[in-house]
Amino acid sequence: MKKIIPLVLIIIILSGCAAVSGTYSDSFFAMDTYMTVTVNGKNAEKAVKDAEAEIKKLDKKLSAHSGSSEIYRLNKNGSAKLSRESSELIKQALKFNRLTDGAFNPAMLGVSELWGFSDKKYKVPSDKELAEALKKVKPEIITVKNNTVNLNVKGMKIDLGGIAKGYTSEKIVKLLKKQGIDSALLNLGGNVQALGSKPDGSGWNIAIENPNKKSYLGQLAVKDKAVVTSGGYERYFKKNGKIYYHILNSKTGKPAESGLKSVTVISGSGTLADALSTSLFVMGEDKAVKFWAKSDMNFDIILYTTDGDLKISEGLADKFKSDINYSVIKRPDYE
Amino acid sequence: MNKRDFVAIGAVILLSVIGFLTFTLNQKGGDFVKITVDKKTYGTYPLSKNDEINIKNDSGFNTVVIENGEVYIKDADCRDKYCVNQGKIKSGSIVCLPHKLVVEVVSDNDSIDAVVK
Repeated sequence: MKKIIPLVLIIIILSGCAAVSGTYSDSFFAMDTYMTVTVNGKNAEKAVKDAEAEIKKLDKKLSAHSGSSEIYRLNKNGSAKLSRESSELIKQALKFNRLTDGAFNPAMLGVSELWGFSDKKYKVPSDKELAEALKKVKPEIITVKNNTVNLNVKGMKIDLGGIAKGYTSEKIVKLLKKQGIDSALLNLGGNVQALGSKPDGSGWNIAIENPNKKSYLGQLAVKDKAVVTSGGYERYFKKNGKIYYHILNSKTGKPAESGLKSVTVISGSGTLADALSTSLFVMGEDKAVKFWAKSDMNFDIILYTTDGDLKISEGLADKFKSDINYSVIKRPDYE
Repeated sequence: MNKRDFVAIGAVILLSVIGFLTFTLNQKGGDFVKITVDKKTYGTYPLSKNDEINIKNDSGFNTVVIENGEVYIKDADCRDKYCVNQGKIKSGSIVCLPHKLVVEVVSDNDSIDAVVK
């Protein structure tokens, strides 16, 4: 009997079972996309299930398209008393609208509907139709008071799609931390947020998709960061040989053609990364770089232009790897 | 230690080595394409072999084509056609949301934890 115990111990050590037992991962559909949540540590399975339930709960509140959501109700009635989460996120969306001088605009749903991006019945609206719809886009006069939101313009409709996934990933990271989890990776349809590092202490390897789909633009290892990419190339339609991308410029009401193919923002805040990736995509390279250089918010950027130039901000210089030639943008050059 | 101890230790080491080799060898065999519908695995196919897979169910159809080391969705009757628009991929995944279909390229030496897009 004495001899059996060390034998069993040796078997356990050599088979390495102990090392893999704490990882749980699950994928599901929510927020009009496909998500994967991976958690390492004790009670990983419960943590993943809780995260999934919370994401679906937030989806029900924040979706502009589901007839039962709070945002749908707000758009229909022009004003509504909302949950704390919804009103908090609207406030954040309005803040980024101001900070980006309108490049991020959560009030474009009416215009987006004209293009058919909501019901997928695509069409190219006339300039007159666009001008009419743009008259109702006035996010600056929306008021939020004690969770009561008032749009103040008849027919204005908001859509939090450009910020909701980032907000959700940030919220789930907080939820996981509360449960004592210190290692997790959330992939909400290509919006990624990492909590801590991998179990071996190294960063999570995040690849940036190349719009040509043949390779990656590059990859970087991150800890405690959100990585979000915006590019028209994922959702678009073709009409008479022309491609119309879904990210709209709120000044023209037309798809943003700013010379950028994709913008990636890396930040500790998922909400910021999500909102700014869309904003910088709309701004175009020059304005985006200036915005980054002058901002007091903590984030890094990766820009990929329609000419095929790849540029990364200086904070990523020692983390980014790529097979493509790239240049590093330095802050002092723009001050 | 007597002879029986050595035999026991030797047996444990041998079993471990066999276990390790079985595990690693099973991982090899090149990249493959994994298709899931509503989270259930529909099938896995080597990326190196040209193939056409027709998936039909209550929500509609998708035609997945594997061609020259790339995979794409040739046709589908979903309403947005985003899956068809995604084009040909060698890595990452194509998702058809209306049909809850995921076509994923799984690489055996993939060190990437997530792809942002």
